[in-house]
Amino acid sequence: MTLDGQDQSILIVEDEPMLAYAIEEMFIEAGFRIAGVAGRLETALAIIESGVCDAAILDANLKGVSAGPAASALAARGIPFIILSGYSRDQQQGAFAGALHLQKPCRPELLIQALRGILPAPTGL
Amino acid sequence: MLRAISHGEADALVIESGAGPKVYTIQGQEAEANRFRSEMLAQVSDAVIAVDGEDRVIYLNAAAEQLYGFANSSALGRALSEIRGLQWSNPENGAAAATAFREQGEWRGECVHVRNDGREVNVELSVTALRDSGEHAGGRLSVIRDVTERKQHEAKVLVSEIRYRRLFETAHDGVLILDPGSRKIVDANPFMTRMLGYPHDQLVGKELFEIGLLKDEVASQKMFRKLQRSCEVRYDDLPLETRAGQRQQVEVVANLYDENGRPVIQCNIRDITERRRGEEHVKLLMAEVNHRARNLLAVVQAFAHQTAKYGDPATFATRLSDRIDGLAAGQDLLVKNQWLGVEVADLVDAQLSHFKDLIGTRVLIAGPRALTLNMSAAQGIGMALHELATNAAKYGALSNLDGQVRIAWRITGAAKPTFSISWLEDGGPRVVEPTRKGFGQIVIGRMAEAAVEGRAEIVFRERGLSWTLYAPAENALT
Repeated sequence: MTLDGQDQSILIVEDEPMLAYAIEEMFIEAGFRIAGVAGRLETALAIIESGVCDAAILDANLKGVSAGPAASALAARGIPFIILSGYSRDQQQGAFAGALHLQKPCRPELLIQALRGILPAPTGL
Repeated sequence: MLRAISHGEADALVIESGAGPKVYTIQGQEAEANRFRSEMLAQVSDAVIAVDGEDRVIYLNAAAEQLYGFANSSALGRALSEIRGLQWSNPENGAAAATAFREQGEWRGECVHVRNDGREVNVELSVTALRDSGEHAGGRLSVIRDVTERKQHEAKVLVSEIRYRRLFETAHDGVLILDPGSRKIVDANPFMTRMLGYPHDQLVGKELFEIGLLKDEVASQKMFRKLQRSCEVRYDDLPLETRAGQRQQVEVVANLYDENGRPVIQCNIRDITERRRGEEHVKLLMAEVNHRARNLLAVVQAFAHQTAKYGDPATFATRLSDRIDGLAAGQDLLVKNQWLGVEVADLVDAQLSHFKDLIGTRVLIAGPRALTLNMSAAQGIGMALHELATNAAKYGALSNLDGQVRIAWRITGAAKPTFSISWLEDGGPRVVEPTRKGFGQIVIGRMAEAAVEGRAEIVFRERGLSWTLYAPAENALT
């Protein structure tokens, strides 16, 4: 796998530790940096607030709490994100409407491809 | 003799009775009238019997012959009691009839006649006192109508009426009877009045839209037109507002049918609010089950990738199946507890089921029973215990004949309680700290930590591995 993550920093918001770990591994292998892993909404909001991420992967439901506020915070800062959830797209509303949606389980290469798709093209090329 | 009488060849009839002979004139002017009467009596469908003062039969018409199964010739002169028995539904009725007859010279009523063959016949009886020309009182003329069939029919109708009335009264569906002409309610069952909160008399005379069943007069007219066309109208889901303003969802089936030549409409109204709520709930549950199943599949997918990455490809399938077993055991517990949580002791038992023969000897378990882990903690700790057990069986204290594992959990600290669970191995082969972090170590380390937002301590002691997970109690327990 080529390391062409362009050194961009990704926030992973996922309450399932196994998935969070697997996604993190996958992103690192693809050449991305990890801005943080959040299993809770408050942690996610704090990382977004600190302004260190270029994009985010967002689980729609965090231990029974909607990740909607995190989606709104990302949108407000113009940070692109992908919703990764066990729910189908038509079950998603509100802050998630219009966002790119991938349903679990998702093939790793599809997730990487989708992530590259939402990131701005590297400058100077 | 009868031929002689009917052909007008006899002038009079003398009947011997206990009170002496009686003369019945059958010729002359009076005889004409008598013949006319007897012909009339012969024609009528009601049975007619005349008896004298001694209760002996002096006349019976064709209908009476048939009713009692006695030919005229054999009946005449016999005691009436030989012709038929008499029964009253209630002995008082018999006494009352006798009194009325004595006082007024006539009586009408109902009783049961018993034929000689034992068959009972319900009869309507009209008895009049007979006075012969000699003014001898005592004879009686009875007109008897067989009402057995009518009685049976009435009984059937009564049973039917009671049965269907009871259905109407006790039904757990609302039932309205409507007049198709006026579109107004004619009757409503008790359930309907309860459902709507209107008393019966306030429902009767109203139109459907006035009780909130159809939204307006136009809708009502539409329904009645449809009913006239197809005789049945069905609405699967109508909003209904009770008198108190409460909203309900109802299913309405209206039928137009003929009631003894008169058209009527019957509306059955079923409250489906609960059913709809149930359906919504099932839909939600299905979506949730799908969500959880997909999550679990994603975990299995991640497990597969990590298992492939860290181990020997030759044992990949075995190692993955083993981990899936561990996940499945945890799932069973969660489902059994409706995803609300799992008791620590149950979780330990489930993940150590392969070693249950060693529990109490080489596997020692200690901790308070009534501690329940939340979903996330149960999954994280469950996976960690599974990895620890697998590792102990392969390389650790459960890989030889006398090593021991002690599993213990507790809560410490009153102000900020901490939950901890530990796994201590002793007496296994000498432990050497691995040079490379395997996937199992990630599961018992950072993954267990993430699940409870706590801290995992892993010490590779020479005499055995030691693992302790500390977590704020509020993060790990329900």
